[in-house]
Amino acid sequence: MGGKDKIRGQEELQRVVLNRNLCTGCGACINLCPYFKSYRGNTTILFPCTLVQGRCFAYCPKVEVDLDDLSQKFFGRPYNCDPLGPYQTIMISRAGKKIKRAGFQAGGTVSAIIYFALRKGYVDGAVLTDRDGLLPVPRFVTNPEDVFTCVSSKYSAAPTLSALNQGIRDGFKQIGIVATPCQVLATVLMRSNPLEDLNFVDPTGLVVGLFCTWALDFRGFEGYLSERIDTERIAKIDIPPPPAEAMEVYMEKEENMEIPLDEIRQLVPDGCSYCIDMTAEFSDISVGALEGYPDMNTLIIRTERGRKIVHEARKEGYLIVSDIPKVNLEHLKWAAGNKKRRALTKVKQERIVNTLEEDKASYLRLNTATLEGITA
Amino acid sequence: MSYLTDNREDMQHLLMGNEAIARGALEAGVNVASGYPGTPSSEIIESLAKVAKERNLYVEWSANEKVAMEVAAAASFAKLRSLCAMKQVGVNVASDFLLHLGLCGTRGGMVLVTCDDPGALSSTNEGPSRHYAQMFEIPLLEPGDFQEAKDMTKWAFELSEAIKSVVMVRSVTRVSHASGNVRLGALAETERHAEFRYDGSPLSADEGPAESVPVGQKHRLQQEKLQMATQLFEESPFNTYQGPEKPELLIITASAGNLYTREAISLLGAEDRVGLLKLGTTWPLPSRLLKRYLAATDKIMFVEEVLPFLEENVKILAAEKAREVGVKTFYGKNEGTMPKTGELNPDIIVSALCKILKIDYLTIDPDYEQKLQMPPIAGVPERARTFCPGCPHRASFWSIHNALQMDNRRGFVCGDIGCYAMGRFPCGFNTTKTLHAMGSGAGLASGFGKLAQFGMNQPVLAVCGDSTFFHAAIPALVNAVHHNSNITLVVLDNSGTAMTGFQPHPGLTINAMGDEAQEIDITKVCEAIGAKVETRDPFDLEETQTTLNRLIEDGQGVKVLILRQECALSPEKKHTKQYDMQIDENLCLGEDCGCNRLCTRIFQCPGLVWDKEKNKARIDEVLCVGCGVCSLICPAGAIERKEVA
Repeated sequence: MGGKDKIRGQEELQRVVLNRNLCTGCGACINLCPYFKSYRGNTTILFPCTLVQGRCFAYCPKVEVDLDDLSQKFFGRPYNCDPLGPYQTIMISRAGKKIKRAGFQAGGTVSAIIYFALRKGYVDGAVLTDRDGLLPVPRFVTNPEDVFTCVSSKYSAAPTLSALNQGIRDGFKQIGIVATPCQVLATVLMRSNPLEDLNFVDPTGLVVGLFCTWALDFRGFEGYLSERIDTERIAKIDIPPPPAEAMEVYMEKEENMEIPLDEIRQLVPDGCSYCIDMTAEFSDISVGALEGYPDMNTLIIRTERGRKIVHEARKEGYLIVSDIPKVNLEHLKWAAGNKKRRALTKVKQERIVNTLEEDKASYLRLNTATLEGITA
Repeated sequence: MSYLTDNREDMQHLLMGNEAIARGALEAGVNVASGYPGTPSSEIIESLAKVAKERNLYVEWSANEKVAMEVAAAASFAKLRSLCAMKQVGVNVASDFLLHLGLCGTRGGMVLVTCDDPGALSSTNEGPSRHYAQMFEIPLLEPGDFQEAKDMTKWAFELSEAIKSVVMVRSVTRVSHASGNVRLGALAETERHAEFRYDGSPLSADEGPAESVPVGQKHRLQQEKLQMATQLFEESPFNTYQGPEKPELLIITASAGNLYTREAISLLGAEDRVGLLKLGTTWPLPSRLLKRYLAATDKIMFVEEVLPFLEENVKILAAEKAREVGVKTFYGKNEGTMPKTGELNPDIIVSALCKILKIDYLTIDPDYEQKLQMPPIAGVPERARTFCPGCPHRASFWSIHNALQMDNRRGFVCGDIGCYAMGRFPCGFNTTKTLHAMGSGAGLASGFGKLAQFGMNQPVLAVCGDSTFFHAAIPALVNAVHHNSNITLVVLDNSGTAMTGFQPHPGLTINAMGDEAQEIDITKVCEAIGAKVETRDPFDLEETQTTLNRLIEDGQGVKVLILRQECALSPEKKHTKQYDMQIDENLCLGEDCGCNRLCTRIFQCPGLVWDKEKNKARIDEVLCVGCGVCSLICPAGAIERKEVA
């Protein structure tokens, strides 16, 4: 059975993703059609669609994700046990002198690269995540200066890819995307042309992945915070690297609040616990925090076009890079490997990996050697 | 010449039952008429309103049936003749007052006309109203044809004045809405002077205060009135008998049952075997008359719709008189010959007669029956219940449905009575989840909205129309606000009592007689009660849905959203088009992923058609009224709207 034959429609998507609570609200199914909507972090279906195959199913990162197939298509090899996925180099980075802005989560690497890529025409628009109060709001920007209104982490799930779908509908051809691992996976599914459209052309110019261990359910997170503080007056939210074990909520004027991570983890939606990917393995480049260096980022370069843009950005003073300390790299691999092992063990137990039954959709498909290697 | 003003004696007109009732009231010299619209009763008040000026009547559409009956009773207390009309459920609303009115008694002739709806053709129930006459001890008349509808109404006023009691005239859909020849009588030319006298003894029929107390004496007096009515009924020309002196089978019937039975007997040619006793005075029963006919045969069959009212009362009589009339075999609802639900028709009676009289007769031609079993003839379109093209309710339910789906907490809408009761069907996107009496949507919501204490976290909404708002939703809203119930009430304000034919209501600037009237502002009423009120145009889908989501999200107290847009069929709006609609076939996605016929598969306005051959949507130029809403739902922007110059 080929990849296309496994694709179903809305009804099956509802059954195997939404009803099983696998959905993380990435937004891949939003703005494709009138039937899927995202509201306050939740993906909902307005009306039933009767089509037997749909893009909603084809792009969903929580159903029929054939990791070997994707890995083969984009990296020329099957999916293996490497906890960080395929990459060319890993370094550390921060925004260069050409970026005269502040308010970044860490080193400002993502903003700097997207700003640069927009200015130099490597991308014709960028899919970012802004926020309205606490609510993350997808945005499609074409003006480089608008990048800086979208800085900093949001910590709750956002339907960011709805802006990608809108950008494609609006005719953009080289779109830059800043996305979490589930969103990057959905993007690569879309880029693999799963429905074998003869007129398909990859509409992306650069995919920047963000490291992610989980995102919070928006309603739960907002409810938790609004019982304790005035959410309108939050300036920034941060989770400092271990051993802090707390979320810091910085207020505009009032006293800052510290929330133990154990309490925050209660608000993580089920869907995140099935995620095997911490570093957005199918991106062009992936960016995350760097333990012990609050003003720097970890930067993974995976593809040729990613390498090229980073190289140019660095050359022109938009980005500063240096080597990653060995201890940081080891710890990153350890953390990413843990996430992968936990999630794969869970999907194995729940029998939603490599499902053989004809009529049953599988969440993931990957070669047995890798699956057993990771979960051993 | 209009049947309402034609004063040439013995002229015949083809009249609907309701028109005949109105004519009967005019011949009786009715002065005041009131009611609340409801199918199948509405034409009675509408007809009288037409000649209000000419005949010097006062006619009103009241806020609800209880008020209507009170308005009519006031006229009676002032020695005028009054008529009050409503559908069967209206009697439930008015029943509290009716109980007291029965005890209190009336002065000028007062007639309550109730139009029942067996089979619930245009109702949410087929509840009976006849039992009220028995329970509240007032006389009940049931016309068995169109001539009787007129004559009986006229006589009901005389009876009312003779016994000083309100008289109930009960019609059904097939009498009220069918037509037959009616020979007119003279229009009354009496002038009455209205005065309410209250200085006499509490027991004085015409001079004392109008009260139901002292109950003991008044109740005895009321029962004496019923005995007087029985005496008059014994001789009434409205009770007729047709058939042999000693029939094999006696059929006792009333109302539309009379029409069906006559047809059935004629079809079978059973005139020599079956006797037909048609009663016009069905409560209290004329016992001497009945005894006479019961004695004439051993087999008795009852033909009446829904509950066995006549059947049970006649059986009591037969038991009481068993020594004189002998033991009978009864055929009716209790032993299963006749159905206890739904409308009757001649076929049902033919089948029953064939069984009892052992007649071999096929009620349905086998050829025809076989054709009925065949799949529908090719090309016959499916006809689901739906809102009219351009109906604001479709737009309103679209937004309500989408807001609730997006909210994703299993919120629901309590429905109410009006065209929008179809919110439970696909045309309303199956949005409403309860449906009961008028105003019950808001009342149920008031209750649901207090259940958070027990863990309920579903958002609670209710809908009601503008007329329903005035009729019965206000007390529910008061209750919800006072008890801080967490609900959103959506008032679907289409500026009229649309379902029953645009009768005016208290929210409008015109009354039943066409005079200017003080309108009551729904917004101000809700604000005065203490609700948070917002108003939107339901044709602005995005704004409506965003507002709804915000109101639903607001977990505190009562929110009212008024969605105001005139009914597409309103006399003011009909034949006007705001937009010319067109579909760009190059943009229409049809059945492709990205649309899958949202407009013709889900939105389903009758003005949109699916062109199977082209695989594209199309505007039906004849049906489309140009509201423009479908252009807002098309995901491809293929439906274009252009403002009509």
